Amino acid sequence: MSALHPTTPRFKQNARAALADPNIQAAMSHAQSGFVDKRAKARAKLPEFDALRDAARDLKDHTLANLDLYLERYEAKVIAAGGHVHWAETAEDARRIVLDICQKAGAKTVNKGKSMISEECGINDHLEANGIRPQETDLGEYIIQLRGEMPSHIIAPAVHVTVAQIEAEFRKHHTHLDPDRNLSELSDLLAEAREVLREKYFQAEVGITGANLLIAETGQSVIVTNEGNGDLSQSLPRVHIVIASLEKIVPTLEDAATVLRVLARSATGQEITVYTTFSSGPRREGDPDGPEEYHVVLLDNGRSGMLGTDFQDMLRCIRCGACMNHCPVYQAVGGHAYGWVYPGPMGAVLTPSLIGIEQGGHLPNASTFCGRCEAVCPMRIPLPKMMRHWREREFERNLTPGTVRLGLGFWRYLCTRPGLYRRFTGMTAFGLRCLALGKGRIRRLPMGGGWTNHRDFPAPQGGTFQAKWRARR
Amino acid sequence: MTARDRILDRVRRATGGGDRVAVAVRLGHSQAQPAPIPAEAQTEGAARISQFIDKAVAVDATVSRLASLDDLPAALAEELRNRNLPAAIRTGTDAAFERDWGTVEHTTGPGRLIEPATLSRAHLGMAETGTLVLASGADNPVTLTFLGETHFVVVRTQDIKAGFEDMWAEWRVRALDPRTVNMVTGPSRSADIGQTLQLGAHGPVALHVFVVDS
Repeated sequence: MSALHPTTPRFKQNARAALADPNIQAAMSHAQSGFVDKRAKARAKLPEFDALRDAARDLKDHTLANLDLYLERYEAKVIAAGGHVHWAETAEDARRIVLDICQKAGAKTVNKGKSMISEECGINDHLEANGIRPQETDLGEYIIQLRGEMPSHIIAPAVHVTVAQIEAEFRKHHTHLDPDRNLSELSDLLAEAREVLREKYFQAEVGITGANLLIAETGQSVIVTNEGNGDLSQSLPRVHIVIASLEKIVPTLEDAATVLRVLARSATGQEITVYTTFSSGPRREGDPDGPEEYHVVLLDNGRSGMLGTDFQDMLRCIRCGACMNHCPVYQAVGGHAYGWVYPGPMGAVLTPSLIGIEQGGHLPNASTFCGRCEAVCPMRIPLPKMMRHWREREFERNLTPGTVRLGLGFWRYLCTRPGLYRRFTGMTAFGLRCLALGKGRIRRLPMGGGWTNHRDFPAPQGGTFQAKWRARR
Repeated sequence: MTARDRILDRVRRATGGGDRVAVAVRLGHSQAQPAPIPAEAQTEGAARISQFIDKAVAVDATVSRLASLDDLPAALAEELRNRNLPAAIRTGTDAAFERDWGTVEHTTGPGRLIEPATLSRAHLGMAETGTLVLASGADNPVTLTFLGETHFVVVRTQDIKAGFEDMWAEWRVRALDPRTVNMVTGPSRSADIGQTLQLGAHGPVALHVFVVDS
C-alpha cells in the first residue's frame, strides 16, 4: 500500500489478515481502551464540551459557506507577512510544487513534521525518487518510516507496532550504536530516538509540516503537537513548507480557540496539547532563528468537488481520530486494512471522495452503523449517514458484488410483500427455536458460520415482533 | 486560468460565493462571541493564578513563585543545583534577563545541539489550561523553547489571562506580530512507544515556571 497504490478494494482480505496477525491484535487491544477512557474523562471535566461541539460545527459550516472569501483573505495575509502561497489542484501538483521548492533550496535532506496531507500526496516517495531524503521526525512516523509502512492511525501512526518490534527496528537501523546496549525500558527507546533525531534537525535544509488550522484573520498556520518535533522541523532549516488542505481554514483566532478546545480532548483526552504553534511568514528582521523562507501549499485534491454535495459535512473534519478510536471495526482490524491514507469511519467517508468510488467505494461497507463515530465526533459529522450515501452510489453504479445484489434483491422482494414477509419471518423464528433445542441459543447455524464460529446465536424467545405488536393492540 | 483561479472558481460555483458582509463582521469581531466561553476560562484574581499553577502542575510542569524578578538569579541557581545541572543558562536578549547572574554562566543566542538549560519569558499565560504564551524574536529565540533539556520560563502574574478570549484581546492590544506564537503546556511527551506516555520527546524533558508577582 502507498498513496499511489491503494489496497482499498481488498479490504475484506486485508481485514482477515489483520485479524490473524498476533502483533496487530496485541497492539490494538492495548491501545483502544486508553483513547476511549481519556476522551470520556476530558468530556466529563468540561461542562461546556457539547455546546462547544455545536459551536465548532457552526463555525466550520460558516467557513465552508464563505470559503472563497476566507481563502483570499488568508492568502493576502500570508503574502503580507512575506510568505508564499502555492495552490495545488491535485496531489501531483502538490508533489511538483514541494519538489521544486526543495530543489531551489538545494535540499539534500528534508525534515518532516507529522502531516496526513503529505501522506495523501505521497510526498516522501516523490522526494526520494528525486534524490532528496525525507526524514520523518514525529516518533510514530519515524518508527513506520524505518519499517517502510504508512500510518495506521491519523494521530498515532505506529499504534499497530508492538514495543518488541520497535526495539528490533532500532537495533537494525541504528547500527552506529553499541549492539549490546540496553533497550529493555520504554525510556531507553525514547532516549535513543531523541538522540538520533536531534542531530538530524540541524542537517536539513527544508522542513515540512502540516497544519491543523489556517487562520484567515492573521495568515497563520497552526500545528498542534506533543513532541516538539514539528517546531524543531520548522525552526532550524532555512526553508519552511506548510502543506495543508483548503478546509483547514478558520476565520479568527477565537474560532481557532473553539476548535482547539474540542480537538485535543477528542483526540487524546488532553485539555490542550503540549505545543500549539502559530506561524506566519519567514523570520522577522533581527530574529536569530526561524526559517528564512515560508511557503504554504494549499491542496484541493477533490475537496472543492465535495462542497454542495451529500459529502460536504466531511469537510468539517479536524482529524482528531475519535471516530476510529471508538469504531468496533477499526479496533478489530487496525488502520492498514483500510488500504489507503485515511482509516476508520472518517476514512471510509473521505476515501471514495478523494480517490474515486471504484477504488474506495468498498470502505463504507466496513461499518455496523452502530453510530459511535457520530456520537463522539467533535464536529458532529453524520458519518453513518454519509457511509449509507456511498453504499447507495456503489449499488447504483453496479459496483456492489453479485451475491450482495442478489441478497438485497431478495430482501426487497420480501419486504415489499407484507403477507409473504409475515409468513417468512414467522417460519424463520420457528425454525430457529427448533434449532436451539430449547436452550435459548444456537451453536451452529447453516450459512451463519461467520457468526457462530465466534459466538452463539441467540434464539428467538417467542413470535415475531409484528405478531406480538398485533397481539398487544 | 491559474490553479488558484480554477480552485476558487469551483468553490464559488459550489457555494454560490461567500457573503462579504458576514465575513467582514466575523473578521472584525463586531458580533457577539459566537461560541460559549467555558467557566474555567473566566476565573479572576487569586483564583486565576492558582488555577494556572494547578493546571501547569497537572501536566507535569513544576512551578515556583517569586516576589520580584530580582529574586530570579538566586532561584534559578538553586533550581539548577537541585537538578544537578551545570551552572549555566542560555537566554535571548530580553531586558528582563540583563542582570547579575552571580555564579551562573549566562549566554545569549539561539539554541544549540546540546543545551542543558534554557530560560525564556512568556509574554502571556493562560489559566484555562496552564499554558505559557511566548512570542519569538531576538529577545526570545524560538529554538530555546524546544532545544533546552530543561526549560525555565518566567511569567508575570499580571500577564496571566483567564483563557483564550482575554489572552487574544491582550495580544491585539500589544500589537505583537512575531514569526511564531508558541503556546507551551508542560514538558514535551510522546505515547508512540507502547501507547505509554513518556516525558521528554524531542522538546524539553522538564519545564519549570517562575511565576513572578511584580
